[in-house]
Amino acid sequence: MTPRPVATDAFPTATSRAQAETEAVLLKHIAAPDIQQDPVLDKTSHMQFLVRNLVQGFPSRYISQDASQPWLLFWTIQSFSSLQVALDPANKQRVIDKVMKWQHPDGGFGGGPGQAAHLLPTYASVCTLAVVGRSGTGGGWDQIDRAAIYKFFMSLKQNDGSFLVAHHSEVDVRGIYCLLVVATLLDILTPELVEGTAEFIASCQTYEGGFASASHPSYSLGGELLPHGPRPPLGEAHGGYTFCALASWVLLQPYLASIANDSRPKPAINIDSLLRWLVHMQGIDIELGGFKGRTNKLVDGCYSWWCGGAFSLLEALGVGGLQNAVSEEVPIDSGTPEGVWDDVDEGLLNRHALQEYVLSAGQHPAGGLRDKPPKNADAYHTHYCLSGLSSAQHHVFPSKLRRSQVEEAWEATDSHNDAMRKRCFSEILSWTEEEGGSHIIGGQNNRVNATHPVTNLTMTHTEQFVSYFYKQKVPARILRKKPTTSPASAPGPGTKDAPAATTTS
Amino acid sequence: MFDDDELLFSERPEWSDVTPLEQYENLNPLAPIFYTDEYKDATNYLRAIVKSGEKTKRVLELTENIIKQNPAHYSAWQYRYETFITLLFPSSPPKPSKALATNPMVIAELALMDELAVRFLKTYQVWHHRRLLVALTRQPRRELGFIKKSLEADAKNYHTWSYRQWTLAFFGGAGGGGGVAVESSDENDIDFEVGEDLWAGELDFVDAMLAQDIRNNSAWHHRFFVVWGCGVREGELDRERISKRELIFVKQHISFAPNNPSAWNYLRGILRHTSTPFSSVAAFAEPYTSSKESISRDNIVDLDNPRPGEGAELPCSEALEFMADVHEAKTTEEGVNSAVEIWKNLATEHDTMRKKYWEHRIRSAHRSLNTATNAA
Repeated sequence: MTPRPVATDAFPTATSRAQAETEAVLLKHIAAPDIQQDPVLDKTSHMQFLVRNLVQGFPSRYISQDASQPWLLFWTIQSFSSLQVALDPANKQRVIDKVMKWQHPDGGFGGGPGQAAHLLPTYASVCTLAVVGRSGTGGGWDQIDRAAIYKFFMSLKQNDGSFLVAHHSEVDVRGIYCLLVVATLLDILTPELVEGTAEFIASCQTYEGGFASASHPSYSLGGELLPHGPRPPLGEAHGGYTFCALASWVLLQPYLASIANDSRPKPAINIDSLLRWLVHMQGIDIELGGFKGRTNKLVDGCYSWWCGGAFSLLEALGVGGLQNAVSEEVPIDSGTPEGVWDDVDEGLLNRHALQEYVLSAGQHPAGGLRDKPPKNADAYHTHYCLSGLSSAQHHVFPSKLRRSQVEEAWEATDSHNDAMRKRCFSEILSWTEEEGGSHIIGGQNNRVNATHPVTNLTMTHTEQFVSYFYKQKVPARILRKKPTTSPASAPGPGTKDAPAATTTS
Repeated sequence: MFDDDELLFSERPEWSDVTPLEQYENLNPLAPIFYTDEYKDATNYLRAIVKSGEKTKRVLELTENIIKQNPAHYSAWQYRYETFITLLFPSSPPKPSKALATNPMVIAELALMDELAVRFLKTYQVWHHRRLLVALTRQPRRELGFIKKSLEADAKNYHTWSYRQWTLAFFGGAGGGGGVAVESSDENDIDFEVGEDLWAGELDFVDAMLAQDIRNNSAWHHRFFVVWGCGVREGELDRERISKRELIFVKQHISFAPNNPSAWNYLRGILRHTSTPFSSVAAFAEPYTSSKESISRDNIVDLDNPRPGEGAELPCSEALEFMADVHEAKTTEEGVNSAVEIWKNLATEHDTMRKKYWEHRIRSAHRSLNTATNAA
């Protein structure tokens, strides 16, 4: 049976025509029901595509991404990680050497040698170093000028709590996400750096529930910021910005927890409308369950991560997967699994369909992944399709148990910012892959590595990197098996209007 | 690259005093990009110029050349802006003023931006540079016309729409004229074009965009921005009248093409923004939840509750979802039961892709009800 098209109500417009064209293309990629063959992730040809880019280089049309050289490299290197491939030491060194050419003397990394520092390439450079770098001479990690990065970050700060992405450049939440990941990884996040940023993020949420690129503050005639004036979002709710805003919100929780007891009014986001918007971004059967980036737009493989990956982040705010997270609170030797595991809940998106989209429509026959057929593969889509596939395969959640283990192992320092650093450290490392929580369409051969929902690095790379910069030991993970008995469903605490996750250490 | 006769910078005598700077010296990098000769040449000179700190007229030529080859080269834009400002204000700090709009340098720069924006519509930098210029010249009106034209080429372009919203907010946010803050300006010096009339055409503009494509979510978002997002402007003080106007507008648009999530989201948005219960439009939404055959077609025209149009494909899942929310909000057992009935319906028949979400709604509605019952 052919899946039904998106309803057009006999009222065709440009949007419905573009939609119909896409449906016609995607229809050809729906596996016929008589074919009992599972879709295969063609790892070999994707590796060939990636290696070709890495070794031979990128064709001339990539000149348009000459100011995104760190991204080209990060997408490639991190795609290797997803595909469970590591570089040999010699090539790792070549990557490190290249990345270090991008560091700007005044702090941060640029899009290429001699280019101005910019928040986005700073994230891509630092994260690439997290994968391939090491401590010591020439290893990259010790050559990152953290003090200069901090100064660079502060120089971009605006009085509405936002940041320019570079000097004389625009404000948008992609930059804030990149800044917060880097600041968290490198242990340079201070209250001063992020004061007012959560308010800015909250103001980017639109009436639809998703987030926009930025918002516009209100000023008095004298030029002062009006804290209670309107801060309208600039642009509509969008998948990429929504991921960045939500991840930023999660990364700001340690700071928000640290000011929880002062009398200032606290910013808030509407989690119900965000969840509703996110689930509605998933296309219907005829769209193979891929995600779109805005209402009434077309599905695109990259939103497998920006939207699909956002569901894990929601768990940090108490939405979805809660039963599993809470179950970890029960000591493993309590011997009373009843009421602990709730198998009903395996996420609020259709993980199965999302995998189908990436596998059936996202793979280019000649290697690499893509937006949708008949488009070409590129480095960006290869990485975000694989990350999205990973988030749909694995259940990675913020474990309270893991957080408390990490907290207990924390060695106090005399830093005046010790409490917040400890929170940053333990929250970023609390993300845990649920044992037995993977659902892999097409069998184990299609498995890609689990991805950290906030950093989009692997869990291991995140852990090693963070541990190095905080100079803290990370306790070994205690592996636990899911009970095989099928207990009664567990009534979890209310998720509706759940407050943002805050630590209680 | 765009003009075959154009000489490389390395071939131009007027650049012979500059020693070009290679990108990767003494390094054979992984993942290289295969540059064209023209691109390599120009960016080698840019690196040299940035290093020497030169900010002269020929830098404008160089950066224009690079930008035309790669409009996303943000460093070229950044350096161009710094050079432009240095040339424009050789002896004083930069100061916005309306008089700048007649300065030949500014006119030339804006003309170039007109050309580049159309060519590189999807580039952040094109729009941001424009923003920097307009913040100096304080002439927003021209921008609205320009934006309108460029939306003809791409009606959902994110940058274009957010630039329009920035223009409106910056030059006349809350109440008009409140949106301006420039470090260097003191109050007496601010002379710019504001006024309510900058906003006067916005609703007509949105109407026209939605008439072209009722599903253009960017236009719906713009409508929300104009009517609700920026505070209350003169002529819009009677919020009850505005609410009523907007409700009629969105209901009518739903009736033309009911399966349009943009319109339903707008309806939800204004109800929540005005703290109006969803139940107040239940009578409107209900007919959209029935199958087509069951709708009685009479000749009564009810402006408050327009009926689904002839071609409507019903039931419409947005309407079902809306009615479930109406029922759930009653916080009674019957209410929740009715809502659950609809969610089950969505999960198993009308919107199966979101099965997990509808199940989540069912669980949380039961939970809320239990909590409420236990508390009572």
